[in-house]
Amino acid sequence: MISLQRASLRYGDILGLSPTSFELEDGGGITGLLGPNGAGKSSLIQLLSGLLPPSGGEVRVFGAAPHRNAEVLARIGLVPEGDRFPGGFRGDRWLRMMGRLSGLEGGALDAAVSRGLALTGMDTRGHLPFTAMSKGMRQRIRLAQALLHEPELLILDEPFNGLDPEARLGLMDLLRALAAGGTRIIVSSHILSEVAQLTERILLLFRGRLLAEGSVPEIRELLDRHPVELRITAHSAQALARWAVEQGELVALRLEEGSAVLAVRNPRSFLPRLQEAVVAGRLPLQTLDPIDLNLDAVFQFLTKDNT
Amino acid sequence: MRTRALPTLRAVALGYAPRVLQARGWVLCALAVLPVVLSGLGQVFARQVEGFDSRVALQVFHGVLVSLILPIMALIAAPGGIREDLEQRTLPLILVRPVPVWILPVAKGLVWYVWGALWLAVSGLGLILLGAAPGTAAFQALALVLAFWAELAFMSLLVLVFSRGVLWGALVLFGWENLLRVLPATLQRFTFLHHIESISGTRGGDVASWDILAQQQISSPVFVSVAVLLLFGALCWALCGWKLQVTPVGLAGREAEGN
Repeated sequence: MISLQRASLRYGDILGLSPTSFELEDGGGITGLLGPNGAGKSSLIQLLSGLLPPSGGEVRVFGAAPHRNAEVLARIGLVPEGDRFPGGFRGDRWLRMMGRLSGLEGGALDAAVSRGLALTGMDTRGHLPFTAMSKGMRQRIRLAQALLHEPELLILDEPFNGLDPEARLGLMDLLRALAAGGTRIIVSSHILSEVAQLTERILLLFRGRLLAEGSVPEIRELLDRHPVELRITAHSAQALARWAVEQGELVALRLEEGSAVLAVRNPRSFLPRLQEAVVAGRLPLQTLDPIDLNLDAVFQFLTKDNT
Repeated sequence: MRTRALPTLRAVALGYAPRVLQARGWVLCALAVLPVVLSGLGQVFARQVEGFDSRVALQVFHGVLVSLILPIMALIAAPGGIREDLEQRTLPLILVRPVPVWILPVAKGLVWYVWGALWLAVSGLGLILLGAAPGTAAFQALALVLAFWAELAFMSLLVLVFSRGVLWGALVLFGWENLLRVLPATLQRFTFLHHIESISGTRGGDVASWDILAQQQISSPVFVSVAVLLLFGALCWALCGWKLQVTPVGLAGREAEGN
């Protein structure tokens, strides 16, 4: 269904996506594009959705290059990131125009617009102008436009941004239902837990490179190799440091006034042991403060590890 | 499910049609109609004081509508076309649809053309109220409508190709066009003004023998000027379509587009 052979994308002098190769088979399912901001997720999405041609290499979707290829584009739905809409439109009228541009007319168009609004929970609010809609409502309309023509491949760029928790869960359910119905879905996000709730298959991007490709447990294992820094305040920082060294998980140790900063190789095994020791009263711990648990730090570690 | 050119044109035109009822649309309407309305009111007053002056219609047509209002309308309407979607980054939402990209500029421009042409036609025919003969006013209205087609297409091309397209357009419409009476006959044919005067059968000014640099004014047959304006407009729309077709348009800003 999707095949990239050393496909790259340049924005002038800036490399948006390094030569990247991967394949996704036919059939439904959800694939997560994971990476921090600037990782190249949107570049990859623009190549897959046919918005931009590759600067090098080859992109094939449904067996053909997607850029300005109507046969391919008719089978793709794109939910782009960002909150941009043409001014002066009502949601339902804009959807009708989008439906017509996908070749829908008459009863089929009416049915598609109604279905799109209903699926996204906008059936009672679709008549509002964009200016009167909340960001979350506009996000739903953006999703509805991508579903109008029932695409075989649905691409969503950071679809959970701006959604409240309830809407987020609703969107996840909808995506799971679409995937179960045979739609191939590609979702980009910079939050692993979001993607992990949706799919087992992840493409990990960082600084325009495809770092890893695999299941969520495989990616988690990679992420777990990143040493996490924890600042722990205890009555006796020395005793804490001694205990930590005994666990054999430390990469680095730094003592500060009243606290110890531990760089732990595998926090998922270290933290339960720490918890156990605290509960058992062996460590009189006062505070625990993870310093660099953000995804960007993890990706930087992985990049170093992979070069 | 591929959408062909005409359904695309219809879909975009229908979709964007309500946009003419926003500020830009009403400005176009006011620009086209107000000169005739205000002159009409002036005529009512003048008739009571000095009697009827049939030259007012000609002065309004050439001095205001053709040389001032028409270019301003083109300058205002053109950025409301496909350029607006490029600037607001809303075009990708259309470009991921299975549509022929080359038809999009004319499809969006058509909305503004029909709206502007409607009010220009009203204004042209309104010249009858200012004393113009009905036959003359009809040709004047036709000239306005056709010239707006050509000028809007030309301006749309300029704003699509150049970031300062409005400035270049203003230079052409207010600079080059005003050179009509000092241009040699061959070059006169390369002005909108020449064709407007040829279609309307009236002139905005006469060349006197004492005018330095003045050239002999020529006229083209009406059907030739009609064809020239129609074809020039069509050519400009086609070039707009070609330009958009070969331009990669991504989700980010212009500086972040491929290649």
